Amino acid sequence: MSRAPSTLAHLQRWMQIVVTHPSGAGAGIRSSAANALLPRATRNIETVVMPSRSQSSIDRLGIYAHMYYARLIEVMTEEYPTTRRILGDEAFERSCRRYIERHPSTERTLQRLSAGFPAFLTRHLPAGRRSVLAIDVARIERAMEDVFDAPLGVPLEHGQVATIGPEEWVRLRVQPSPALRLLKLRTPANDYMNAARGGRRARVPRPRSSHVVVYRYRYQVYRRTLDGAQFALLSAMHDGKPLAAAVRLALRHSRGEPARLAARLGGWFRDWTAAGMLQVPGRPSRYRGRRGSAPRPARR
Amino acid sequence: MRNRWNLPDLGLGVGLRTKHFRHITKHWPEVDWFEILSENFIDTEGRPLWYLDQIAERYPIVMHGVCLSVGSTDPIDFGFLDKLRALAARVKAVWLGDHICWTGVAGVNGHDLYPVPYTDASLRYMVSRVKTIQDYLERPLVLENPSTYLTFAASTMPEEEFIARLATESGCALLLDVNNVYVTCRNHDLDPTAYLDVIPYEHVVQVHLAGHSDNGTHCIDTHDGHVIDAVWELYAQVHRKAGARATLLEWDAKIPAFPDLQREVRKAARFRGQRGRARAPA
Repeated sequence: MSRAPSTLAHLQRWMQIVVTHPSGAGAGIRSSAANALLPRATRNIETVVMPSRSQSSIDRLGIYAHMYYARLIEVMTEEYPTTRRILGDEAFERSCRRYIERHPSTERTLQRLSAGFPAFLTRHLPAGRRSVLAIDVARIERAMEDVFDAPLGVPLEHGQVATIGPEEWVRLRVQPSPALRLLKLRTPANDYMNAARGGRRARVPRPRSSHVVVYRYRYQVYRRTLDGAQFALLSAMHDGKPLAAAVRLALRHSRGEPARLAARLGGWFRDWTAAGMLQVPGRPSRYRGRRGSAPRPARR
Repeated sequence: MRNRWNLPDLGLGVGLRTKHFRHITKHWPEVDWFEILSENFIDTEGRPLWYLDQIAERYPIVMHGVCLSVGSTDPIDFGFLDKLRALAARVKAVWLGDHICWTGVAGVNGHDLYPVPYTDASLRYMVSRVKTIQDYLERPLVLENPSTYLTFAASTMPEEEFIARLATESGCALLLDVNNVYVTCRNHDLDPTAYLDVIPYEHVVQVHLAGHSDNGTHCIDTHDGHVIDAVWELYAQVHRKAGARATLLEWDAKIPAFPDLQREVRKAARFRGQRGRARAPA
C-alpha cells in the first residue's frame, strides 16, 4: 500500500484541529497548533479552502466545526436525559462541550464516547447538593448505556439453585451477569430518577448513601435500589468470592443476625435468578443466539 | 446497463432505524430491503442486534458505514474490518460500503464525513487503501459520494472525476447519492447534470435518496424531510443512464412513521416504470 502523502496528512491534521476547536473554526485557524501545520492558512485561508459564491472559507469550515460538537452533544443528550434535567440545558451542554474537548472520540462507534462523563462531572462540577445528585444520576445513566450493549451471560435458573447441595454451596462461585452494574451512591438518585422520568415532581434530595443495581433482562434495561446487605452480597459475588464468603460479607450489613439474613437469602436468589441477574461461571460468556431467549445451560 | 459485479437490483428499500424496529417486526411491511448503519450494530450485543437478526431472516440487508475512513492518513483499522466482516456474515449482507471521505486522523474520530483534496496524490493513496480493504474483506466496497461543504484550493480535478477514477482504478462499486450530488453542487456552484455525466454507471450498484435543509447560502444533508423535486429529477436522469438500481430512502431526523417512509420511497417506482408497490417479505 502506498504511503500517505505528507501534504494530505498535514492537511487532515490541520482541518481536524480547526473543526474541533472549542471556539469555532476562526479561532481554530488562528491557533498555534494549526499555524504550526499550515502557516499559510493563518495568513490567507483562501490558499487552503476556497470560498464559494455565497460563503467565505471560514464559513465553510464553520459548517464542519458546528456539526462536530452538535452531533456529539446530541448523542450525550440522548444518553443523559435526567442529568441534563438536573443541571439545566445550558450547564449540561457546556459540560458536554468541555468533556468532548478533553476526551474526543477515539473509537469507530459512539458507544463509549461518554464513558468518562460521570468522572468528568465529579472533577469539574462545583460543590453542592445539585452537583452531587447530577453525578450520581450520570453514573446510573452511564451504567444503563453499558448494560444495554453488554453481552448477556448464560443465566442461572432458580431450578438449578435448588439442585445445589450444601457442600457445593460453600465453595460455589456465582457471578452476576456481565450485563449488570453495581453502584454505591451518595444520594437516593434512583428514587429521584423514578420520579423525574415518571413525570412526577422531583426535588433535589438531601445526601444519603444508597445502592443501585442496573441490569439487563433479555433486551430491557432495569434499575433497582438495593439495601446494604444485598449490595454487599452481589458485590462480593462480582469480585469472584465463593458464595459462603459472600454471604459472610452480607451478614455484616444485616445487623449481624444470621437467621434474619438466611430468611431473606432464598427470596433474593429467587428474585435475582428470575431477573436474569446471575450466571454460573465457566459457562459460555457470550450469547450468540439469533432469538430473544437465551439458551438454557445444561443442568449441573 | 448491468453493473460490473452483477449485483442485484434489490428494488426499493429504506434505512433501518431504531424507531421502526417494533413496527417492522410486528407488521413485516412491504419493503424490498433494508440498509443498516454498520456502526450501530458493532460493539453491542443489545436489543438492536436482536431486532436485526429477526429482520435479516426476512429481508435482504445492505451494510452502509460512516467510519471506515478510506481517505484518512491513519493506518487501516483491520480490527474494525474484522467486525464488519463478522456482521456481514451474521446478516448475510448483500454488499457493504461506506463513503469517499475521511472521518478522523491521529487516532481521533470526528464522526463526520470530511472531504479530501481532489489531487492525483490523494487519488493514488485512496485507490491503494480501497484495494487493500477490498482484498481483506474479499468483496468490493460500495462507496458513496458524500455531501461536501468546502473545496480545497489544492484540488486539481472536480469531485466527480475523482470519484470516477477512484472507481475504475480501485475496482470499487459506487453508491450514488443523488441528494448528495444536489447538495454538493449547490454548495460548490456546480451543475449536477454535468456531475452525473461523468459517473461510470457500470460501477453503480445502489442509489440513495434523501431530504436536505436549504439554508439559502448553502445546503446541509440533514436527511430530515421529503425528497425535493429537483432531486427526483436527478434520480430520473440516473435511471435513464444506468437502468434500475437498488434504491434506498434515508431519513434520519424528524423520522416519520414507517408507512410514510414507504410512501416516500415508492415514489421512485414511477421513474423505474413500476407500480408503487414493493415485494412482500420472504
